Amino acid sequence: MSAPIFVRFWGTRGSIPTPGHKTRRFGGNTSCVEIRSGESELVCDGGTGLRELGLELLQRRQPPRSVHLFFSHMHWDHIQGFPFFVPAYAPENELTVYDPGSGRVEELLHGQMRSDYFPVNFSDLGAKIRTRHFEAETARVDDFEVRCFEQAHPGRSFGYAFELGGKKIVYATDSELDRLLVNRDETERDAEKLRRLPSELVACVAGADLLIADGQYTDAEYPKKVGWGHARANTVVDLAHQAGVKQCAIFHHDPLHSDELVDQKIAAAKARLAARGSSTLVFGAREGLELKF
Amino acid sequence: MTPFASSDKIPATVSKSAPFDLETTVAGDVSVVGGVALGEKLPTLEQVRGPGAPRRFALAAAETVVGRGQQAHVTIESTLLSRRHVLFRRSGHELSLVDLDSANGVFLNGVKAHAALLYEGDTIQVGDVVFVLHEAPA
Repeated sequence: MSAPIFVRFWGTRGSIPTPGHKTRRFGGNTSCVEIRSGESELVCDGGTGLRELGLELLQRRQPPRSVHLFFSHMHWDHIQGFPFFVPAYAPENELTVYDPGSGRVEELLHGQMRSDYFPVNFSDLGAKIRTRHFEAETARVDDFEVRCFEQAHPGRSFGYAFELGGKKIVYATDSELDRLLVNRDETERDAEKLRRLPSELVACVAGADLLIADGQYTDAEYPKKVGWGHARANTVVDLAHQAGVKQCAIFHHDPLHSDELVDQKIAAAKARLAARGSSTLVFGAREGLELKF
Repeated sequence: MTPFASSDKIPATVSKSAPFDLETTVAGDVSVVGGVALGEKLPTLEQVRGPGAPRRFALAAAETVVGRGQQAHVTIESTLLSRRHVLFRRSGHELSLVDLDSANGVFLNGVKAHAALLYEGDTIQVGDVVFVLHEAPA
C-alpha cells in the first residue's frame, strides 16, 4: 500500500500577486501546488507561492533534499518564485526541472535571473539542477506515473496527471477550455447546456480524485477576455462532471477578484453541478489548504 | 502569554478566580481554553451543532485539541469523534487546523481537509459536531 498523497496549495492567484485584506482568504501568491508522498516531493509551478514552500522544506526535510519541479509554462506568474526558492541555493540539494515541450525551460529560468532583473545568476545557484525532457507523454518520477498533455494557452501550456497507488491528481492550469468546446454553437445559444470538451482531454482528467484547474473567469467576464488563455469556472466544472472527477479545485483566481467575488464564482459553479445532479464536489483553491488522499 | 502549557488539561469553564478577566476578553456564554492575557481579544469556536451545542470556546492557548478523549483540551461526548481529533493552532494572528489522523476526518466548508489556515466564518465539521470560527475582533 502506498503512502498517502498530500496536496497543498501555496499559491492560487492568477496573473500577478495580489496581497491585501481583500484576498487574504483565498490568498495572493501566484501558482504553486505541492504534491508529496513519503520521500517524494513534487511541485507544480514556481509562482510566488514557491518562496514559502522553500522555507517550509528547509524545516520539514533534512538535506539532501530532492525536489521535482513541473512547470505548466513559463509565463511570469508561474516562475517568479523560483529565484526565491531557498533550497535551490544549497549545494546538497537536487532539483529536477521537467520540460514537457519547449526545450527552453532552463534557458527561460536563466533569463529571469539575468543581472538586469535579479542580483543572483542562475549559474550561481548551488543545488544540482538538471532538466528532464518528457520523451513521451508519460514519465516515472519516483513511484508516481506522470502524464503530460498540451493545453490551450498563448505560447502553449501543459497539464499534468499524477498517479500513485490508485489515486490520481490532475494539475491543469492556464488552459482556455472555452476555445476547445466541441459544441460551442449550442452552448452560445444556451449557456446552461453542458459544455463538451474533446474526448482526449476528458480522458486525461477522467476519474481524478482531485482536478486543480484554471477557472479564472465568471461567464459574464469571459467575453472580454477571449484569447487570454483562461477558462470560465463554469466550463471547468462541466469538464469535471464529464470526466467523473471526485473533487474539483477552481484555481488561478483573477487578480481583480476579492474573496467575496471568488465565493460568488464558486457558488455559481456549485449550482451548475447541482442542476446536473453531479457527484463532483467543487471548491475554491485557497492558500494553506492541504488535502490528503 | 499562556499560563497553561498546551499539554495541560484545561477546565471547560473557567471560574471567576481565573488569572484573567473574561469581561474584557470575550462576551457571552464562553468557555475559555488556555490562558488569556488581560484585555486580549480571542478567536472563538462557536459550536452550532452536536452534543453540547450551542456554546462557544475561546482559543486562548497556542494549541487546542478537540476530541472525545480526556487528553483533548475540549472534550465532546460524541462517538463520531476520535480521542484527539483536530488541533487548532494560534501563531500570531494566524489560525490553522490540522487533522490528527482522525477516523472520520475534518471538513472545512464541506471539503475534507488535512490542514488549513482559518478565517472568519469558516465552518469546521468533525463527526456530528459543527463549529463556526470567529476571528478575534480587530
